[in-house]
Amino acid sequence: MGKLLPVFVALISILPFLCNSFSPESPTDRRVLVLLDDFAIKSSHSLFFKSLKSRGFNLDFKLADDPKIALQRYGQYLYDALILFCPTIERFGGSVDVAAILEFVDSGRDLIIAADANASDLIKEVATECGVDFDEEPGAVVIDHISYAVSDIEGDHTLIASADFIKSDVILGSKKIEAPVLFQGIGHSLNPANSLVLKVLSASPSAYSSNPSSKLSNPPSLTGSAISLVSVVQARNNARILVTGSLTMISDRFFRAGVQKAGSPTKHKKSGNEQFLTELSKWVFHERGHLKALNVTHHKVGEAGEPSMYRINDELEYSVEIYEWSGTNWEAYVADDVQVQFYMMSPYVLKTLSTDKKGLYSTAFKVPDVYGVFQFKVEYQRLGYTSLSLAKQIPVRPYRHNEYERFIPAAFPYYGGAFSMMIGFFIFTFVHLYSK
Amino acid sequence: MARSSGKDAQALFQSLCTAYAATPTNLKIIDLYVGFAVLTALIQVVYMALVGSFPFNSFLSGVLSCVGTAVLAVCLRIQVNKENKEFKDLAPERAFADFVLCNLVLHLVIMNFLG
Repeated sequence: MGKLLPVFVALISILPFLCNSFSPESPTDRRVLVLLDDFAIKSSHSLFFKSLKSRGFNLDFKLADDPKIALQRYGQYLYDALILFCPTIERFGGSVDVAAILEFVDSGRDLIIAADANASDLIKEVATECGVDFDEEPGAVVIDHISYAVSDIEGDHTLIASADFIKSDVILGSKKIEAPVLFQGIGHSLNPANSLVLKVLSASPSAYSSNPSSKLSNPPSLTGSAISLVSVVQARNNARILVTGSLTMISDRFFRAGVQKAGSPTKHKKSGNEQFLTELSKWVFHERGHLKALNVTHHKVGEAGEPSMYRINDELEYSVEIYEWSGTNWEAYVADDVQVQFYMMSPYVLKTLSTDKKGLYSTAFKVPDVYGVFQFKVEYQRLGYTSLSLAKQIPVRPYRHNEYERFIPAAFPYYGGAFSMMIGFFIFTFVHLYSK
Repeated sequence: MARSSGKDAQALFQSLCTAYAATPTNLKIIDLYVGFAVLTALIQVVYMALVGSFPFNSFLSGVLSCVGTAVLAVCLRIQVNKENKEFKDLAPERAFADFVLCNLVLHLVIMNFLG
């Protein structure tokens, strides 16, 4: 019994280090729960899952109505990301429901939602809560009679080829996607007032969303480039959500298929689907575009320590280190548009920080001629990157009475006048007493 | 009418000059001293109008030293003037001593306020 106790204690103390989940030091997700309609999806989308596994993710495949699924147990989250490949699910099993999924995202974890032509109201509701509105008409799909993909069977133009990508190297990778992306499913629209959602793949101006088997009685509600085929949401807590209206665009069949856009002579041997979705999944799982800011320091020019208060018209230097997660380690972030504000109700000083290309950003400026409590503010929001919001408060005092110049040059005439009066008085006393 | 008012002004000025020439010398010395103080005050006011009132305390100190000197000198002239019935019994030495003490206090205050 005496020998077992230290062994037991040693084993228990190793347990925290065995946890492999994501943390602020290592933001890439590790444990992913994949909810499927049926296990056939596991094999029909095997290329996508294989690419995720090769990057080190632990995928846990479960049926969406499995009564044993749970996102958290005893207050601890069991997974770092959730993939919903279950468009037709009416009710989730276990303790998962819309509120649990939203709480999951609110805790900073990522989500991928794929809908399809026969998407259930539950999936559409989850997407609406994330800021993406699917077409409410049942059975409606995106149809495009001008930008469809040419195929051997005379289809109803629901298989469309789109190349309207968002212009962002962070989200889609630096390598250009040559071939158009095949898409077959429902479209969604985004609220233009929402600044957190981005259209990654939009439909061409000739697309519209309606049921192909029924006659159109009134104009469709979703038309043209307002239809988004694939969107991403970056929440304010930096959780990332990917919403796509086509589960089949992620399937092996579309990854391997060749594509030819109607009206264009070029026939691409391989569609852009695999490259598009692999790069997008890298962004969603924080392997790209995740920034962290460290070591905010400021000090007076010539001094080393950080003072507790500045005086007006002081010269000071401000520096911050910004790193970007590359998937495996933190690398220096290089950009020329990071700015710092010296802010009290409005920015008195706004300066662009210069970088030494190793992650250190610094600048020097003069404290303005106003005293009060200021803040060093860095508000950095760029497309596809996590937002940085740093603020450090510092008071600024006016001159002490002995910090002014001793004799003010502008007042020399007044000094002269006062002294001339004194001398005049002195001479006058002699003249007055000893005259006559 | 204009010619007569012009002639009147000239006549007035002439009579003023002749009357003033009759005053004793020591009073004329005091008058000169007062004129010097007021002139210095005017110079400082014109300077402030040009440059602005930045060290306002210095400006006030300079102007008030001139004005204070002028006032004290005028008081001395009143008390020393032999034709003044009111101060017939006051010895001119006593008046001069008051003048010196008041000037000392004035200059002490001015030096403190000059900055």
